[in-house]
Amino acid sequence: MSELAQIINAAQEFKRSVEVQVRKARNDSRFAGELRRRWRKIRERVPTIETPAGLKLPQLALPQTDEPGEIAQFLFGDGLPGEFPFVTAAYPEMYLAKLQGSNVESRVTSQNGRAQRVRIEEPTRLFAGLGLAEDTNHRFHYLTQHQHSVRLSTAFDGPTLYGMDSDGDGVFGKIGEGGVAIDTVEDMERLYAGFPLGDEHFSVSMTINGPAPIILAMYVAAAQRRFGRGVIPKLRGTVQADILKEVQAQNETIFPMEASLRFLTDMVEFTTAHMRRWYPISISGYHIAEAGATPVQQAAFTLSNGFAYVEMFQARGLPVDRFGPRLSFFLDCGLDLEYVALGRVCRKIWAIGMRDVFRAGPRAQMFKLHTQTSGRSLIAREYKNNLTRTAIELLLAYMNATNSCHSNSADEPFTTPGEEYVRLAAHAQAIVLEESGLFKLMMNTLTGSPGMKILESALEKAILNEFRHIDELGGVLAATELRYQRSQIQSAAHRYETQINEGVRPIIAWNRFGDRTASLPDVKVVRTPRSRQQLQIDRLQKFKRTHRDQAARALDRLSKVVENGGNVFAELLHTVEHCSLGQITGRLQEIVGRFRPTM
Amino acid sequence: MTKLSRRINTLKSRSRKVRQTPRILTVVPICDGHDSAIITINFEFARHGIEVIYLGYHRSVRDVVRAAIQEDALAIGISSYNGGHIEFFSQVLRMLRDQGAGDIGVFGGGGGTITLPDVRLMKRRGVDEIFFAGTPLEKIVEFVHHAYSKPRRAISRASLNGPLNDLELGKLLTAAEVGAAPSTFDSRSSTLTVGITGPGGAGKSTLIDELALRFLKSQPRNRLAILSHDPSLAAKGALLGDRAGMVNAQNDRVFMRSIGTRGKAGGLAAATRRSVEILKQGGFGLILVESAGIGQEDLPFARGLVDKQVLVMSPDYGSRLQLQKIVMLETASVVVVNKADLPGGRTAYSELEQRLASNKPRPKLIATVAKRHRDPGVDELFKEVVS
Repeated sequence: MSELAQIINAAQEFKRSVEVQVRKARNDSRFAGELRRRWRKIRERVPTIETPAGLKLPQLALPQTDEPGEIAQFLFGDGLPGEFPFVTAAYPEMYLAKLQGSNVESRVTSQNGRAQRVRIEEPTRLFAGLGLAEDTNHRFHYLTQHQHSVRLSTAFDGPTLYGMDSDGDGVFGKIGEGGVAIDTVEDMERLYAGFPLGDEHFSVSMTINGPAPIILAMYVAAAQRRFGRGVIPKLRGTVQADILKEVQAQNETIFPMEASLRFLTDMVEFTTAHMRRWYPISISGYHIAEAGATPVQQAAFTLSNGFAYVEMFQARGLPVDRFGPRLSFFLDCGLDLEYVALGRVCRKIWAIGMRDVFRAGPRAQMFKLHTQTSGRSLIAREYKNNLTRTAIELLLAYMNATNSCHSNSADEPFTTPGEEYVRLAAHAQAIVLEESGLFKLMMNTLTGSPGMKILESALEKAILNEFRHIDELGGVLAATELRYQRSQIQSAAHRYETQINEGVRPIIAWNRFGDRTASLPDVKVVRTPRSRQQLQIDRLQKFKRTHRDQAARALDRLSKVVENGGNVFAELLHTVEHCSLGQITGRLQEIVGRFRPTM
Repeated sequence: MTKLSRRINTLKSRSRKVRQTPRILTVVPICDGHDSAIITINFEFARHGIEVIYLGYHRSVRDVVRAAIQEDALAIGISSYNGGHIEFFSQVLRMLRDQGAGDIGVFGGGGGTITLPDVRLMKRRGVDEIFFAGTPLEKIVEFVHHAYSKPRRAISRASLNGPLNDLELGKLLTAAEVGAAPSTFDSRSSTLTVGITGPGGAGKSTLIDELALRFLKSQPRNRLAILSHDPSLAAKGALLGDRAGMVNAQNDRVFMRSIGTRGKAGGLAAATRRSVEILKQGGFGLILVESAGIGQEDLPFARGLVDKQVLVMSPDYGSRLQLQKIVMLETASVVVVNKADLPGGRTAYSELEQRLASNKPRPKLIATVAKRHRDPGVDELFKEVVS
């Protein structure tokens, strides 16, 4: 039986096993007694907190019941925060009392009576990238002034995302647009200048897929140049590197799928062995949703892609308990009702699949979630409404106990965000988490309502049903080649557009309550000046001249490794010292071919 | 005045009377993968009587201009979402003018990254229209019909020496489609011409793209021509999308022309024979004629049209009995089982081997996996094609 089919079975089996426990709790008085005692202990251990207004409350909201069946339903079906199947949360404490401006990075808590180290991290992560490396560096320093932790998230420009050099044919106007231009390891040094790359309080996220192994190699090489070889095992961060969703939705694939997956697996093999604190892949539904997928499709395609990667890495011989904890997920959060519970259901299905099908331990069962508010939900007309849209989406994201979150800037529909709106977006998160009492005082405040329960079970059923379709087509890779996910996403996008056109899906100030006289916003658009674009080209060409001879040799060495089936990522660490991104992509494409889109 | 240019000048007056189906090239610029809007628009165009040649996403200015000239498109529609639009549109306009194709229109649209001041600047530089997100599709269709319905000037002269250039070929092929091309050409040209046919979805285009790669590598001086057929819709429009999946064939040494079948059954168009004759004046090293997807009884290549016929099949032809009904198996000089890596690949190969055993002369049977880079089966096919 295929892995996906086994996961569907495991999820159904899990549901039955919970029902068995519930029945047992109701019929077996000894079991009921045990459960009640355990429940009492759990509740006693929950610390009490006083709200600023003086009301005393438990820090973790648990069902107010003493009925053994309900206790069993919660403990086995949802799980305490940080416990299988992680419906409530991936970690025991999410946003509690950690945002008081203290630098507490870790502390001891007593969960299950055991002393346990819990990493306390601020969940805000803001995405930035514009112009040349030093421009983005400047933005990073600006952003982190307003943040407690240094968690940088990097957007790259079009040429970088497609593995091209800034002096490539016809890309001039794209240099530094929508993200930062990176051609060489020297750009990478400039990009993160002044930040302590090996520091345990520092992490970086890089949103890049097709050329991800090359870009990560540049990052590692840049860190090495500044801090020496010893920095490699200390590097913290993530690179998106999700090829499947690129083929299914976002179209930033540069090598054929098979070759891309091999380069990815090489990279994961390397980081699993040598960069134990690195997240080598961020399995992403965001772009799937932005391309038009429904929330259910987003969850189903993302989870099934995740399981496909696990299968692939296991086939390479990597132990699931080594790489499993280094997988993370990235979902979109829009305004659809489904988003009330989507993250919760994803955590559950992932945990069941990892435990029961891939035999993973607890740390590899956790679905670690980064959320970004929906870019597609924002519109240019009367764009300040976007502040409200993003605020609601943020609330939904935190209701789903996301582990980190990016909030979009209101001006994003028409430009790379300006500093004013970036600051407002960051503040929105602080308002939700620090100013409001919704999440910092009590965990689980808004869960367990009848509506949420209905959504959870409907979503789970729909996601598993989508798994079934993929399985019938021969699994994730076969379905992807048959363009199944792509065509599903496109039909959903079409439906969404039709709904907007027909007014069934109201978009305020667009198809409802629009100010007919309002024209496009007259705002300052952030663009990279031509002189800066030329500077990038000049620097790149100087690098190429300086490294001309070494580059030829390094590329030949790389070719041999590709042909002989060696670990390409390990070799790239050398190649990037002498070659530009475009040179490396070009050579690799000669050997493995170029990605060919299908209509 | 040469005989040829005289003919071209005479067709100028004639073509004015013929209502041409508008041919539009659509594309997403380089380093941009946002194709969902353009895909929707493509279908809308095709449904409303427009022939759309879709070039795909992440395409360079050079690719766009080359394709527009070879396809003799009336206009280029560019869908741009991630910035750099002023530069990209301007470069397309400049290169069109430089290549003597300044009469090809340019319009476009995209996400909110295009601002009103940008639009004013782009229009000053020669862009006909920019549509913002949320424009009703009917409005765009109407614009195309209205703005690009006028017949354009025919070429004023053909090269006196040497083969026809892309611009001339492009215009002559359009003339052939409206039945106005010179009827007699020097047919002594002996350019090797190979027909490639097979059912829809067998992977013909992918295979041709891989053949193009091998051609470009093995014949560094020669040019390749591809005449690629796709079915027209009842509304006379068509979505000619082969270019979108061809990454190797977008090259200065490849001339590619997409052609709608325009109501003719059997996989080719009424203008195919003329078109091949015209291509033979282009000095190409090889001409590949790709049919639209064919049915069991179709024999697209009439006698003398091509030198060799390649039938491409995939393993999912159904039962063995179905093989008996495929008439092309009687005439093909090469039969290809593409997607040979699929579960049914081996079975298909041996069933076809038996089916072809009684043919005289016995056609060559080759198993390929066209999607695989450097596939040895495709190497073998290429040798067979050019030999």
